[in-house]
Amino acid sequence: MLKIDNLHVKVDGKEILQGLTLEIPSGEVHAVMGPNGSGKSTLANVLAGRPGYEITAGSVTFQGRDLLALAPEERAREGVFLGFQYPVEIPGVNNVYLLKAAVNAARKHRGLEEVDAFEFLTLVREKMRLMRMEESMLSRGVNEGFSGGEKKRNEILQMLVLEPRLAILDETDSGLDIDALKIVANGVNTLRSPARSLVLVTHYQRLLDYIVPDHVHVLVKGRIARSGDKSLALELERRGYDWVTGEAA
Amino acid sequence: MTQSALSKRLLDEYAAVSDSLPTDVVSAERRQEAIQALAARGLPTTREENWRYTNLRPLERARFAPVAAAAAAAAPTVIPAGLDLPSTLTGFARFTFVDGTFAPELSSEHAQAGSTVRNLRRAPESSARRQGSTAGTRPLTAPSGCPEASLALLNEAFATDTALISVRGGTDAPQRVELVFVAVAGADVGASYPRIQVALDPDSRLILVERHVSAGSGASFVNSSVSVDIGRGAHLTHYRLQRAGARSAWLDTLTAVLAADGRYSLLTINTGGLSARSTTQVQMAGPGAELILSAAALGDRQQTQDHFALVEHIAPRARTDQTFRGIASGRARVAFNGKITVREAAAGTDSRQSLRGLLAGPAAEIDVRPQLEIYTDDVRCSHGATAGKLDDSMLFYLLSRGLSPEVAQRLLKWAFLEDVVSKIELPELRRQIEHDLAGQMADAASLKELL
Ligand SMILES: Nc1ncnc2c1ncn2[C@@H]1O[C@H](COP(=O)(O)OP(=O)(O)O)[C@@H](O)[C@H]1O
Ligand SMILES: [Mg+2]
Repeated sequence: MLKIDNLHVKVDGKEILQGLTLEIPSGEVHAVMGPNGSGKSTLANVLAGRPGYEITAGSVTFQGRDLLALAPEERAREGVFLGFQYPVEIPGVNNVYLLKAAVNAARKHRGLEEVDAFEFLTLVREKMRLMRMEESMLSRGVNEGFSGGEKKRNEILQMLVLEPRLAILDETDSGLDIDALKIVANGVNTLRSPARSLVLVTHYQRLLDYIVPDHVHVLVKGRIARSGDKSLALELERRGYDWVTGEAA
Repeated sequence: MTQSALSKRLLDEYAAVSDSLPTDVVSAERRQEAIQALAARGLPTTREENWRYTNLRPLERARFAPVAAAAAAAAPTVIPAGLDLPSTLTGFARFTFVDGTFAPELSSEHAQAGSTVRNLRRAPESSARRQGSTAGTRPLTAPSGCPEASLALLNEAFATDTALISVRGGTDAPQRVELVFVAVAGADVGASYPRIQVALDPDSRLILVERHVSAGSGASFVNSSVSVDIGRGAHLTHYRLQRAGARSAWLDTLTAVLAADGRYSLLTINTGGLSARSTTQVQMAGPGAELILSAAALGDRQQTQDHFALVEHIAPRARTDQTFRGIASGRARVAFNGKITVREAAAGTDSRQSLRGLLAGPAAEIDVRPQLEIYTDDVRCSHGATAGKLDDSMLFYLLSRGLSPEVAQRLLKWAFLEDVVSKIELPELRRQIEHDLAGQMADAASLKELL
């Protein structure tokens, strides 16, 4: 599904990703963990095509295609989804309008007709119930006045409606209380399938109690310093990041 | 052309037509006074601080004499074939003026118990005469000789008709009136002088929709003047929608005075004209008065949209809430200059200003300027003014959901106007305006489905 090879990325002239290599096969859930500032969000943003990052070396292949050659909107239509660490508020752009425009953009890309308005709303309502979101949130501006937790739930709602092939969730767990965390995890789990891959970017292992990953990677100073199975997350929790940073140094 | 040459031409043109100008609209003496005052002062120039951003070149080329004077004085208004007026609003009486003169064929009166609406020319004989009042000849110019209001003098000198609205108190249901001003003739034929006088008795209510449109794509010269008098405890909701033709010059002066506890909700949307300028001057004359001034302006191609708003607080405990959202695309220039003056006696004034401009074209220009002049300590004033480009992180968010850059930008521009558009309380009018705005923004197809 996704193959990242020796990726080097600079931000403002400073090298943040320093030769990152990672492969995520179809149907797997990978957790990317790491201390603050290690480059997790940089990785997520580069995969989604955010401007402002200078890719100095390496490659990213998504379903056999050069992902880095695609514009952000093309990546989205091809099935790449980024759940933002800090979802932006867009007052005046209606939530449900954005959802519909996003779904239709992907459908058009695949040569499909626009979604039927009634079926679409039915689907959205069903997913909202799953995410325990108030229906009134649909008619509000995108993330406008949402609490931190509501914003994260809204990200997952969008993911559930868009059904991406590759979802990268950047600290979707941060700022959530335990109930909200369970709701989010439950939402994410409904999307697990052999045809889909997930990258969970997280600082804490807590999320991984609810979304059990196939692999765990630790990002330190812009490289994967260690990889393992879910027990690696538990060990990190116990011993702290110093354990890996020390080793990596 | 030099200022003095322009003043001379003004006087000459006035002298040539003054005999044909209706004295029931403005008396001959007052016209004379206005033209003299204007000639002495001179027409505004961009060297003046509060006219810096206006495109005043049309003044040099315009024929000042009104279209109506160019035609035979009592000739029926020529209604252009295929004139496409905005749809009427449910429950509103419509009065249409073509090139500044009342056109009964295009008007639809609804009897409304609590108000009188009349025009001063070609009214049914009785209504203007029966009133026998001189209300219509009250000066519309600013009381304090405000230099920014000088174009109202031009209107006063040449006006061909007045829409007079007086609202009596005692009914809870607001009166609903719509005025439509259509500019037809080109500036080479003559000018058009829309003129409105609104008076609200104490505790009365009025919803007024004022539209300015053009027929065809003629380059018209329009100079309107509006006077608003809000009595104690009266509420006026006033929508001003300007979409003059793309080659027109549209100049406008509004002065309003609010008595104690009066409330004025003024919402302006300027999208039309090649050179548009609004001067809005509001005096908070009574304690507890409230002004909600919301303005949006869209400029594209070579358009200039300039708005100067002066709010003067002279009485205690009045409130002003001012919102401006402007978008400059193409090579357009969009400016909003919001000045608030708080006099010594205006203790307890509460004023808020939120002015924002969006630069949406590499050659576009935007200028938002808050000015505060405060002569008392006991005030609460907050003001914010920003001008900038579309927010990158919002843009990226939309792209990351698969929207094309064009659609994403259009959506964000749309959203930018939301703070003003959301203040339109009449759903029917709001839908109309949303459609107009969507149509104004290039390639609106995908926006229309949003509505
Ligand atoms: N837009 C930016 N401009 C400058 N520095 C940045 C920018 N984004 C990230 N960085 C820097 O890159 C490093 C990695 O940041 P980030 O990818 O956000 O880390 P993480 O998500 O792991 O906490 C940090 O040192 C951060 O300060
Ligand atoms: Mg991060």
